[in-house]
Amino acid sequence: MAEAEVKVGIISCSGEDLAGGTLSRLATRKLLDERRPHHTVTICLPLFLAGGQEERMFARAFPTITVDGCEKRCAYKATERLSGKVNASIVVSDIVGKEAACGCPLATDALNEDQQRMVELIADAIEAAFDKAQGTRKAAKIVD
Amino acid sequence: MSEENRKVIVLACSGIGKVYGLIAREAVLKVARELRPDAARTMCLALLMTDDAEAHEIINGATCITVDGCPKLCAAKNGALAGGVVAEQVRVVDLFRAYRGVNAGTATALTADGWKIVADLAGQLAEKIDALRAAGTLEEAE
Repeated sequence: MAEAEVKVGIISCSGEDLAGGTLSRLATRKLLDERRPHHTVTICLPLFLAGGQEERMFARAFPTITVDGCEKRCAYKATERLSGKVNASIVVSDIVGKEAACGCPLATDALNEDQQRMVELIADAIEAAFDKAQGTRKAAKIVD
Repeated sequence: MSEENRKVIVLACSGIGKVYGLIAREAVLKVARELRPDAARTMCLALLMTDDAEAHEIINGATCITVDGCPKLCAAKNGALAGGVVAEQVRVVDLFRAYRGVNAGTATALTADGWKIVADLAGQLAEKIDALRAAGTLEEAE
């Protein structure tokens, strides 16, 4: 039996008021562009929040990982409230520390070496969650 | 009205799927942090949309310029819904009529041409902020 393609949804906060938003956005894009380009999808968080039924189906249609810059966890809370249970919730400040995550907002070309390493660390966490989510989905398919 | 409250809120959609969202985000950060730090501020759109009380208190009655990547206008609609006074709406996709054929980059990273568009847009936003302040719009919004 051919294995069904499993895409994982990633919803990132992109917060404009703190560095964690830039870090979460770049780490999410790293999964989409480089690490799992054919197996990940995303949706703009504001569009998801403002959207209609089609957008709200996102977490029901895909195993979903949320990525938030700070402990307010907008992406996680909104997804669970509006769409469905998420497979994993990544919080940037848990990985790189509150000071780094809640610092001044950053342009995407202004990251120093430490911040670039942080993006890789966050992407590692998303990737691990991706592998787990994909494994869960595959296991569910076999049971089906 | 405090100086912080007199600042124009520049609100970007930061759409993560297309280059337009990244241009909106970078232009807003540039104007709030570099060009007009004393006259403009930004805030997280998603936080605003999650009914955060503190965010709503900040935007309620405040003069805003919204910058959206696409015609869905998430920033403009939600800025207004939260009580912001949207004085100007900008759509990045419209700006591209002046940059036909230009490769601005992707939702991840901008090219040199993409950064030029950001600089142009940020300059336009700064002029709009100056005009709002000169017209006394911010005091009237108090």
